[in-house]
Amino acid sequence: MKKNTRTLAGVAVLGVSALLLSGCSAGAAESDSNTLKLWHFESDTSAMGIAWEEAITVFEEETGATVEFEEKSFEQIRSTASQVLNSNEAPDILEYNKGNATAGLLASQGLLSDMDDIYAEYGWDDALAPSLQTTARYDENGIMGSGAFYGVPNYGEFVEVFYNKDMFAAAGLEVPTTLAEFEAVMAAFVAQGVTPLAESAAEYPLGQLWYQLALTQADRGFVDDYQLYTGDVDWSGRELTYATETIKDWTDAGYISTDATGFKAEDAGTAFINGTYPIFYSGSWWHNRFTTEATGFEWGTFLFPEAEMSPGSAGNMWVIPEKAANKDLAAEFIDITMRPEIQALIGNNGGIPVAANTEDITDEKSQELIGNFNTLTEQDGIAFYPDWPTATFYDELNAGLQELINDTKSPAEVNEQLGGQYQSGVDDIVG
Amino acid sequence: MTSTIIDEAAKAPVVGPPARQPRKRRSSTTRKTLGDWMILVVAILIGLLIAVPFFLILINSFKSPADYNAAGPLTLPTELYLDGMVNFWQRVDFPQKLWNSFFISSVVAILAVLVSLLNAFALGIGRVRGRTWIVLLILLANMLPQEVLLYPLYFMFKTVGLYDNQWAVIIIFVVIQSAFGTYLLASVLGTFPKEILEAASLDGANKWTMLWRVVYPITKPTLSVLVIFFFIWTWNEFLIPLTFLVSNASQTVPVSIAVLQGDRLMDVTTTSASALLGLLPTLIFFLIFQRTLTRGITAGAVK
Repeated sequence: MKKNTRTLAGVAVLGVSALLLSGCSAGAAESDSNTLKLWHFESDTSAMGIAWEEAITVFEEETGATVEFEEKSFEQIRSTASQVLNSNEAPDILEYNKGNATAGLLASQGLLSDMDDIYAEYGWDDALAPSLQTTARYDENGIMGSGAFYGVPNYGEFVEVFYNKDMFAAAGLEVPTTLAEFEAVMAAFVAQGVTPLAESAAEYPLGQLWYQLALTQADRGFVDDYQLYTGDVDWSGRELTYATETIKDWTDAGYISTDATGFKAEDAGTAFINGTYPIFYSGSWWHNRFTTEATGFEWGTFLFPEAEMSPGSAGNMWVIPEKAANKDLAAEFIDITMRPEIQALIGNNGGIPVAANTEDITDEKSQELIGNFNTLTEQDGIAFYPDWPTATFYDELNAGLQELINDTKSPAEVNEQLGGQYQSGVDDIVG
Repeated sequence: MTSTIIDEAAKAPVVGPPARQPRKRRSSTTRKTLGDWMILVVAILIGLLIAVPFFLILINSFKSPADYNAAGPLTLPTELYLDGMVNFWQRVDFPQKLWNSFFISSVVAILAVLVSLLNAFALGIGRVRGRTWIVLLILLANMLPQEVLLYPLYFMFKTVGLYDNQWAVIIIFVVIQSAFGTYLLASVLGTFPKEILEAASLDGANKWTMLWRVVYPITKPTLSVLVIFFFIWTWNEFLIPLTFLVSNASQTVPVSIAVLQGDRLMDVTTTSASALLGLLPTLIFFLIFQRTLTRGITAGAVK
């Protein structure tokens, strides 16, 4: 007992001395006019991390200013942004999530700077495809698609088909170019006892496949109605009926395993990496990981057959807080990240640049990826994500599709339920 | 943690015929009965069940991503892979986070125990009127979910200029932890033997001497247990440090672990490695003070 008391006393002494020590260091560094305080949440080995590190070097050389960079966690920026940006600790520039519930909300609260003037000054609107600008503009209610610019996306993302070339070759199958061929390929795998699609209904993958199926039947007007609330969405209409019924048919045919209800995206992804499933329909954010980790086989990508549009969007973007001390420096920094050489760095490291010269991309796999993305943006095919319209629709959609796969609800019942949930969520937003 | 549970179970009172023996103290020569063994087995099983997440962290911390993808989370690593841990260590400047956590947790532990003792002395021995209600009011700090406290606290600390300062977190947790401490100590001191206090006051002790010369030495074992609890609880806090520690230089270990969770992707092996690094200090701290912990609660008030 004596010994323990002494150890405790030791802790106490340490604590108190720490108290005194930190007294000196607690004062926060004052921001001066020649320092750019920058936050982002990309790891230093990711495409954006590498490109932005180079952008920081270029920026410091050209302006003579110093960059005070801090890597934040996605979680921290997501959950504390509204508080930090409302205080004097706000950085001059930060990476922030696009979307109505995030950037839109902060913009409507007046916490983000209106960027219309600097957009015009630097000509960024010419560099960005129209569907990529959608997530950068927010109206006074924080709804994306119109109003002033509040952010600059540096990279894009979209959903496509990843396939295992070795398994395709072993089964004597070709890359499908039509939906009928795609179903034939999957049927061929099922005939060999292989479930073709790596899916997860507990998280986003199945919802995105469902949305993709709807998009094969849809036009831009449907996407605007669904995403930007420009009109009513018909939940018993052609697009969504086709989507839900096809998911049901594919499950019945064995293209999708009923086990998918319990799988997370991570499980589906690792199952593709270890060669359990030959096809994984998911986002370009997996590209880098497959490049480094799926080394046991050759893999390739293609856009969903017969689809003019696919889920996707501009990536997270640079925003400038209203309380930023050095807005001019922040704008200069953003302009550097939009330069072709920095954009090429994003492209050559597995990311998807929004304003790169295609001839600068040297990596073969990246060429394929960026080629697919450019095809999509050129045909105005970026259709955003199914869960965007309301704050709760992500969970509602997953739950609905789980019931569909489990056979507890029919496609019509699922659509009716989802339609009700979608509409009440939208009513809350639009008012 | 497992070991304590098993230890405790091993010490558990004997069930079955031997319990009816007239002797109160169990001698070590008592034969173990079937019931004894059953209890031991159940305790070990429960212990293992509790330890499962820890084992999962342990095996995945030393696994390479390729190994993880190929064989999943449940197999043993094929080779010892330390890159995940090293990368995390360097990426977040782990020693600095370790120091921040240690500094905040130890200051909170000591100040909170001090505040609890002073409160409890007033409430338990001073016998203030309506003390049940006062204790209940104080306990509100513990009962309210932290999400509710977040915004009021944010505005308060921003106004006084302590936002993005470790002292904000320290003050908040001193209050929250001492709420529990006050509750516990007030009821312990409520049963404090009157005779001792009367004897002390006959000897001319005032309240202050009574507290430090009489009450403090006798409650010391309980106080040290509280120090350990408060240290570990504060160490594991996430939401309030996340909100109030904006600069990386002032962040704690649990906040720094969050860096590894991306928008859509997660890196299981590195996350496990970081969890292991975050868990080790509390584990070591616990093992060092384990004896105090098991004794403190059982130690009687009067010696």
